[in-house]
Amino acid sequence: MLKDWKRVYRNIRSLRGLSEEEKIMIARSLAATPDERWQMHENFLRSHGLFSHWERKASGFKW
Amino acid sequence: MVEMSAAIIQGVPATTLDTDIWVDLPERQYMRLWNLVKGQGGVGLAPTMYALADGSLLNFIFSMTGLRNFEGEYKHAKEMLWNGLKIRVLPLERIYRSKKASARDKDMAHLPLLANVIKAQKMNEGKNKQ
Repeated sequence: MLKDWKRVYRNIRSLRGLSEEEKIMIARSLAATPDERWQMHENFLRSHGLFSHWERKASGFKW
Repeated sequence: MVEMSAAIIQGVPATTLDTDIWVDLPERQYMRLWNLVKGQGGVGLAPTMYALADGSLLNFIFSMTGLRNFEGEYKHAKEMLWNGLKIRVLPLERIYRSKKASARDKDMAHLPLLANVIKAQKMNEGKNKQ
């Protein structure tokens, strides 16, 4: 679950070529359940007013 | 489920504008999918692209670049629980392979992130087994 991300972070912190912020972002995503991951993705789109096809069309997107 | 929507539910911190579903149907039978989506309150935007009642986009895919056929990939697909449903998703390594083979700019842009998450996933699973 998302709340367990620190355990995942400890496991992956020796990964090379990534900043601490990137490792935390990946740790949070790997720790989350599939439903939590999808929710984070949808929240991101909603935060930009880009969740629905109709909102995106209004912002000039093709789809 | 395939492409970035499948990658997201497997732990890739990314976003996508549609949910991609690979269907084992000949493309000429797209009307079957069209009717199915319309029956659920969705709207067809193109033969493969549909807007569902909540405004989210659904993209049906009839073939995948750089991969085996549907049956060959389905056997090795990962089973996951998502939205209360048991679904099959294309594993991250196969998504990487397909994106590399299709070589569109938007696919190439995803490769470094996919590669890093594949490495992190292996590292995490290895440490959990210890």
